[in-house]
Amino acid sequence: MIRKLLGTVGGVVLAAGLAVSAQAQDKPSMGIVVKIGGIPWFNAMEMGIKEKGAELGVDAVMVGPTSADPALQVRAIEDLIAKGVDVIGVVPNDEAALEPVLEKARAAGIKVLAHEGPGLVNVDWDFELASVQGFGEAHAELLAQKMGGAGEYAMFVGSLTVPLHNAWADAANAYIAAKYPGMTLIGERYGVAESVDESRKTALDLMAANPGLKGFLAFGSQGPIGAGRAIEEMRKAGEVHVLGPFSPGQGRQLVKDGVISGGFMWNPAEAGRVFVTMGKMLVDGAEITSGTDIPGLGVVEPDVAGKDIITDNLITINAETVDGLADLGL
Amino acid sequence: MRAMITAITRRFGPEVPALVGFLAVVVAIFGLAAPRFLSLANFDSMAFQLPELGLLTLAMLVPIISGGLNLAIIYTANIAGLTLAWVLLQFGGAEAGPGAFVLGVAAALLVGAAAGAVMGLVIAHIGAHPILVSLAMMIFLRGLGEFLTRGGDISGFPSYLAPIGHGSVLGLPVPMLIFLVAALVWHVMLTRTRHGFAVYMIGSNIRAAAYSGLHTRRTLTLIYTLSGVLCAVAGILMLTRFNSVRVGHGEALLLITVLACFLGGVDPFGGFGRVLPVVLALVILQVLSSGLNLLGANQHLSTAVWGLFLIGVMILRWVAGKVGQGRKRKDL
Repeated sequence: MIRKLLGTVGGVVLAAGLAVSAQAQDKPSMGIVVKIGGIPWFNAMEMGIKEKGAELGVDAVMVGPTSADPALQVRAIEDLIAKGVDVIGVVPNDEAALEPVLEKARAAGIKVLAHEGPGLVNVDWDFELASVQGFGEAHAELLAQKMGGAGEYAMFVGSLTVPLHNAWADAANAYIAAKYPGMTLIGERYGVAESVDESRKTALDLMAANPGLKGFLAFGSQGPIGAGRAIEEMRKAGEVHVLGPFSPGQGRQLVKDGVISGGFMWNPAEAGRVFVTMGKMLVDGAEITSGTDIPGLGVVEPDVAGKDIITDNLITINAETVDGLADLGL
Repeated sequence: MRAMITAITRRFGPEVPALVGFLAVVVAIFGLAAPRFLSLANFDSMAFQLPELGLLTLAMLVPIISGGLNLAIIYTANIAGLTLAWVLLQFGGAEAGPGAFVLGVAAALLVGAAAGAVMGLVIAHIGAHPILVSLAMMIFLRGLGEFLTRGGDISGFPSYLAPIGHGSVLGLPVPMLIFLVAALVWHVMLTRTRHGFAVYMIGSNIRAAAYSGLHTRRTLTLIYTLSGVLCAVAGILMLTRFNSVRVGHGEALLLITVLACFLGGVDPFGGFGRVLPVVLALVILQVLSSGLNLLGANQHLSTAVWGLFLIGVMILRWVAGKVGQGRKRKDL
């Protein structure tokens, strides 16, 4: 009886194993460890990885831990080293925590690629689809155009302690101060953009207190949505502009109603494709130097010392593109 | 054969033969399905991955045997790690000497013990439920850690720490050695000492234990203090493995430690449980996790398999219980 039960449980495990172990031997193999599995952003990335893998003949799999915990990423990378893949890709939760295990991977002769981890040392290359400067400035330019280059605007960030959001905000403010002196920032910046409700309340308060307020720049996925709702409630669509990066699926209706003017993001599916493309290049021994044309990144200017390849491949979210992006599940 | 199983059962508990059998089956299946599973590299990788979860599970084990729970293990470990990191940074970060490391380890162990002792004292003297007390401690430690670090990570430690997290001695990974020593100490403590005996008695029936003259308050305090010390060891190990400390490291491991305890046959209501079956359960969980990873399976699928495995073990246990009863009746 016990043996029978063991057999049954074992059979289930084996079936689960065989279902996913369809792999060829001679193809270069690649494992890409992302922050967390099962969320739309990384589902889109996995789609890109699979697509490019099939196209280039690379056996590429994405490993998505069940929670955004660096300890789980370390474990996943150790398993990939044991598996003997040719390339490891990673989107780090915590750069510092991964350094020792990535060092181990490289010592084992494995090529290492990173995305959204510009500070990593033990990598062959890190690539970015958006530079801090470019991302902040693109939003600033769009806001200036919508506001006609003059008037008051307010700045939202996810939280005052999110380094990336604040770096974007700094870049945007510097750009506006230099190019559009007619625009003035009110308040310092508000750390509300990770919450729809707080963004909405803050936007309502700010509009009541500042009749001359013409625009919101919100870095943080919920900021544009919340500020957009506030503008909709006050029936000020077209009069007060809000823009920033947000989830297309969530903001689809507000964009179509003309409440959110738009924003920029980078495409996770493209990042997935670039992972595989660059992984194949590394395995083939291709040199990446200034002027190399990498599909998905364009002609690159790599920072050899920092091992960073930073590009600006932003995609626009607006009334025309929002449906297509939302259909990707983003 | 029967005699051997009986001897093992008597010595290490009734769970061991079943778990060893299960482990053999799982290893055989993965050996067939994944060509690289039965390789030295893979066993090495598993041996490096298991210890941090293993130490945390041991820290969870004794409170569970005593009829409680320690939900604060992850954050106790991280706060202890932060303490060590802080001491190292005071002595120059990457330039800090071995003396600073020893001092930092002592401070970290002290902080872990203090966090545990506070929990133990509250549980023992106020009589609040351990789940409530350790939950409060977990929230406090997480908040404190996030306040002190602002959610960021601290890194930049001396390079001589790397061998502790990634080195090997005689082919055995150093983290594994630390874990094995801790497991042995825990085994001896539970089976050979007055404290261990008191732990089981309190877990079975705390009132009866008190009336029998056991010092239940002192024992409860000691249980949580030692659990805190072991958390600190796990925290120090995590620091050397990741070369950084952050309050969020290892968050996902909390419930897995409880899972490993229950798989190892520890009674959820306290009073029964041994170290060896829990270690075997940890090995099985690691084999399942690494095996599925080698096959390139979805991580969520491996979580599902762990759950399935827990249910399977419960059914097996029930069947074994029935068979045992039937045999007893026949003897009569």
